[in-house]
Amino acid sequence: MDSFFIGTGVALCLLMLLTLHRAIHGPTAIDRIMGVNVIGTKTTILLVIIGTIYHRVDMFIDIALAYALLNFIVTIAASRYFQQHKNLNPKGYGYRFPAEDD
Amino acid sequence: MIWQLDLSILTLIVICAFATIMVKDLLSAAIIFGAYSFLMCLLWTEMGAVDVAFTEASVGAGVSTVLFFAAVHQTTRRVRTRKSGRMLAKVFALMAALLTGLVLIIAETDFPGFASPFTPASLHLSPYYITQSLHDTNVPNIVTSVLADYRGFDTMFETAVIFTAGLAVIAILRRYKRDDRCDLPEPYVISEGYPDTIIRFIARQLAPFIQLFALYVVAHGHHSPGGGFQGGVILGASFILLAISYDSRMIIGIMSERLNILLGNIGVLIYAGIGFLCLLLGANFLDYSVLSKVLPATDKIMARSHGMLGIEIGVAIAVMAIVISIYLNIISHGKYDKG
Repeated sequence: MDSFFIGTGVALCLLMLLTLHRAIHGPTAIDRIMGVNVIGTKTTILLVIIGTIYHRVDMFIDIALAYALLNFIVTIAASRYFQQHKNLNPKGYGYRFPAEDD
Repeated sequence: MIWQLDLSILTLIVICAFATIMVKDLLSAAIIFGAYSFLMCLLWTEMGAVDVAFTEASVGAGVSTVLFFAAVHQTTRRVRTRKSGRMLAKVFALMAALLTGLVLIIAETDFPGFASPFTPASLHLSPYYITQSLHDTNVPNIVTSVLADYRGFDTMFETAVIFTAGLAVIAILRRYKRDDRCDLPEPYVISEGYPDTIIRFIARQLAPFIQLFALYVVAHGHHSPGGGFQGGVILGASFILLAISYDSRMIIGIMSERLNILLGNIGVLIYAGIGFLCLLLGANFLDYSVLSKVLPATDKIMARSHGMLGIEIGVAIAVMAIVISIYLNIISHGKYDKG
């Protein structure tokens, strides 16, 4: 049974890699926020899975609960930022900041 | 220690760390750093350091990323890099980093294996904690008993460090009207715009549950991971959630600046006060077993358990007040009027 949970955990890590690709490559900041949000959700599940592997779910469920309760604060904060500043990508799609001289 | 999970999580962490450095947009860097914090929490959980993981979970998910956002919100997203010159310095820094890495890799071969019972650290003191702490203090969670009882002095100054950090933020950012000489631009109002009914409703409904959970974390720290720091951060995060979804003025109405600073003081004072109470009762500083003289119906062992609960409550109050005060200072440019 343990190998099943380890397999599930590794599969979740691989899925996390895909969302991490979205989080790192963007292109807009909203993509990144959604990517990180999904990573947070997967983290919640992975914590419980690790707890099951160690046979001490009661120790790990608190951390998972903390993530479940707090995970969306970051998302709301980021949405507030864009509500105020409007522009998702400062100079349009795919723009990269040039190095600026001091 | 499950090597398959270990390997995959570590790979993700390294990718995240590089991405955080390479991204030129500060807001994106803050977002990816949030992912990094999630993964660090997973790694610690997977290694069995549940209390550390809990701290990372509450700080990373609730507070630190939001504080980064608030700082970016009030300043700018752009990164300034020097294009010209300083080539020598860069080469030198690269050399220094590579050399340090090399030395660390060489030194790593001398390390004992992971969780080896024959390391010097776990030969002398750890067996005592593992075998005796439940007997001494009646607290099943060894981390809590070491942190709050055997090493209570360290933890007191950790709390003092957090308190000092809060004071430093206030000293740097707080601006009063009468001696406001610098002309910073008006702060961006983070919660301006249309009233979002859904977000406000959910935040309003969820905040009491988050606070209840935080109180559970503080009170249940004796039996499960958690304690004063984690509970205090979660309490502060619930207030930050309200401040984001409504308006920071609403939070200032509940937790005014005066109350915040007062609570921070009271938290540290509870901790030190329990220590001095022990001193007054004729024992060493923070030696809780003597508290059985004042607490009714407790023997020396239960007194240590109750003493730990007391200082955890003090830590939670101090951390909550400091977290809220740092957020309010950053978001309102230190003016406490809007944001």
